[in-house]
Amino acid sequence: MTMLKTMKMKKRVSANGIIQACMVLFFLFCVILPIVSMLCRITPDGLREMTQSPQFLPAVRNSLTTALTATVISMLLALAAAWCMERTRIRGRAVFGMLFVIPMLIPSISHAFGLVALFGNNGLFTKLLGWDVGIYGFWGIVVGSVMYSFPVAFLMLSGILQYEDGMTDQAARVLGIPRFRRFLGITLPYMKKTLISAFFAVFTMIVTDYGVPLMVGGKQITLSVLMYQRAVALIDYDSGSVIGACLLIPAVIAFLVDLCNPEHGQGGYVSEPVVPEKSRLSTVLSYLWCTLLSLLVLAPIFAFCMMVFQTKYPVDSTFTFEHIEKTFHRGADEYLLNSLLYALLAALFGTLLAFVCSYLTARSKGVLGKCVHLFSITSMAIPGIVLGLSYVIFFHSTPIYGTVLIVALANSVHFFASPYLMMYNTLQKVNPNLEAVGQSLGVGRFRIVRDVILPKVRYTLLEMFVYFFVNSMMTISAVSFLAPPSPKPVALMINQFEAQLLMESAAVVSLLILLINLLLKLAASLLRRNAGKE
Amino acid sequence: MDLQLNRKLEIRGICKSYRNHAILKNMSFAVENGEFLSILGPSGCGKTTLLRILIGLLPPDAGSILKDGCDITGAKPSNRGMGIVFQNYALFEHMTVLRNVEYALKFQKIPKKEARERAEHMVEAVGLKEHASKMPRNLSGGQQQRVAIARTLALKPDIVLLDEPMSALDVATRLSMRAELKALQSQFGTTMIYVTHDQEEAFALSDRIMILNSGEISQLDTPENIVRHPANAYVQTFVLDNLQAKVDSLARFIGGK
Ligand SMILES: Nc1ncnc2c1ncn2[C@@H]1O[C@H](COP(=O)(O)OP(=O)(O)O)[C@@H](O)[C@H]1O
Ligand SMILES: [Mg+2]
Repeated sequence: MTMLKTMKMKKRVSANGIIQACMVLFFLFCVILPIVSMLCRITPDGLREMTQSPQFLPAVRNSLTTALTATVISMLLALAAAWCMERTRIRGRAVFGMLFVIPMLIPSISHAFGLVALFGNNGLFTKLLGWDVGIYGFWGIVVGSVMYSFPVAFLMLSGILQYEDGMTDQAARVLGIPRFRRFLGITLPYMKKTLISAFFAVFTMIVTDYGVPLMVGGKQITLSVLMYQRAVALIDYDSGSVIGACLLIPAVIAFLVDLCNPEHGQGGYVSEPVVPEKSRLSTVLSYLWCTLLSLLVLAPIFAFCMMVFQTKYPVDSTFTFEHIEKTFHRGADEYLLNSLLYALLAALFGTLLAFVCSYLTARSKGVLGKCVHLFSITSMAIPGIVLGLSYVIFFHSTPIYGTVLIVALANSVHFFASPYLMMYNTLQKVNPNLEAVGQSLGVGRFRIVRDVILPKVRYTLLEMFVYFFVNSMMTISAVSFLAPPSPKPVALMINQFEAQLLMESAAVVSLLILLINLLLKLAASLLRRNAGKE
Repeated sequence: MDLQLNRKLEIRGICKSYRNHAILKNMSFAVENGEFLSILGPSGCGKTTLLRILIGLLPPDAGSILKDGCDITGAKPSNRGMGIVFQNYALFEHMTVLRNVEYALKFQKIPKKEARERAEHMVEAVGLKEHASKMPRNLSGGQQQRVAIARTLALKPDIVLLDEPMSALDVATRLSMRAELKALQSQFGTTMIYVTHDQEEAFALSDRIMILNSGEISQLDTPENIVRHPANAYVQTFVLDNLQAKVDSLARFIGGK
């Protein structure tokens, strides 16, 4: 007879549990409560006043029409580009791939600024060729938005195309199904979920951005611009909160769609990638299309490069460093250093936070872990301007308000989701038994993380750091509410210089941000490549 | 009484369930000193769960585990004098073979020089002397498996648990690894508990076999006794009939020769 002895395992409060609880508290105080406090600002009166104001409904209409048009165009361009890159025998894919994502390294407002430099009243085309296309207004917003959202759509779509199963494609080819029908009948349905996710992500990105419509919107006021005018310029937080709540709607829908739609990007295992069919025609068309697209998305950057180095753009094209010198005299060097500081802080803190979070959620089970995971991807759904306003309202009377710290905190939270997911996906692929092996060998969890797991994921860590840094360098959304007058980040100077009609200085600042981000990206990819050779 | 003394490990009434779904149902058995015990059962029957409870990575819902007569049910995994080798090896990928074996010794208050010597000795014992400074990713599956075994044995555990250690290897490597494993066992005198879903492997290696069926012990006996007196229909169909089928299909060719 075996005695049945009921064991009472003492429930030790594990270090894991404590850290998880800290994370939950962190998200509570840095995401949920600020948003709630912003929503609590909305009073029936404020709501009525805002929705009945003559600007409100036109702004909603402008926001919807411009964002929808831009999203559709951006998706179509990106789909065509992704197909050319992944399904034809085009060479120089690395080059095109890099050119396509360069626009991600400058703030949206710089794209719009580039458009002004090309087509504005003193623009290249207007002055030299006499084309007055009337960039200010609906089409200005649409074109500007397409330019900065295209890379995001392109990355999502080309990513999913890479993971299509080549065996299915081959089987269909053997059955004699023509190329175009294979694309419609097999590839598109396979991409459906990603297409939906990308559509919502791009739409949200465009509708919540105020940089482009502020610069080239002209009389077309969008919701985001209205919010900027009310909350930043007039410091009217009550109407700001109402608009903020409106801007949360598409973001929340996008988030829910993503949540019900979890399997994009990771793709899983592919037995064999699709081998592009040989076809002279499609290769030639691909080159044409990719070249054309590169020129289009890079045109604003060319424009402000010319502006920076020409004596009087666009009429006197002699080379000069004068504008750069003048801009530095106007304080750009100091602002640049400020920005580097902000970006460094956000990158360090954000990377640490995202690593701890993803470690907890990817490598341990439990309800708290699930909460942290959900919170982490929730941060993706919150537009920068909404986060900024809610931080102003929530942290107003705390000591960190008006300091460098709150800006770094806001940026870490704002850009949290992507780096978090990068690390989450990486950690899930790391052998799940490592910690258990450590335990059985008497090596603590902390040591296993330090000696075994961190070395393995160090390039993902680097990628996360770069992501936080690059985005913090160029963001103008949350910081426009939070940045103290000094030290002020450099991205905010673009708008300021443009308003003072110091166009060349605005161009110099845009170019500086681009250069720094580009350098950082290049350095990271070189590091990676060198390690790959080892 | 004498019998009791020979019991290396005694498991009494272990139960484990996940969300009201019983995985291990009141399981009791004993492992003798120096024996090679196989745990045989289809996948999903709770073999890994049992091993994780034995080494202390998972607390049982009820029951106790006695080692050399002492209750170790609540002890930390590293204080049990046991080692475990996982199915997918879980090697430390950024360390050389030697460092993999040496790493855990650092935490045992063993002097550096002695740790190094012991690690070198272990690497040699599993036949990887020439590969000691290689990275795990540059080794074959069988070699990686040996690193995992050396890493475990370096701490001198008296019981080693192995969770389907050969399932990722090709047939030829498996056969040679079987022999090596038995040789290592007699060299170090360790008790081994070997989890597998392969009937042939269990019969080839074991002193005794424990046949599991959905969280319960169907039979625990020597291979001979299992063949002579299968305890129930499950043992007959899933273990013996399968083995017989293999033997028959081979016999056709060998007989015809
Ligand atoms: N953490 C867990 N939560 C819920 N169910 C689990 C967990 N771990 C294992 N199980 C379930 O317990 C059963 C036995 O699993 P396992 O011990 O891994 O089986 P085996 O190793 O024999 O293949 C399986 O049905 C599995 O789904
Ligand atoms: Mg198992």
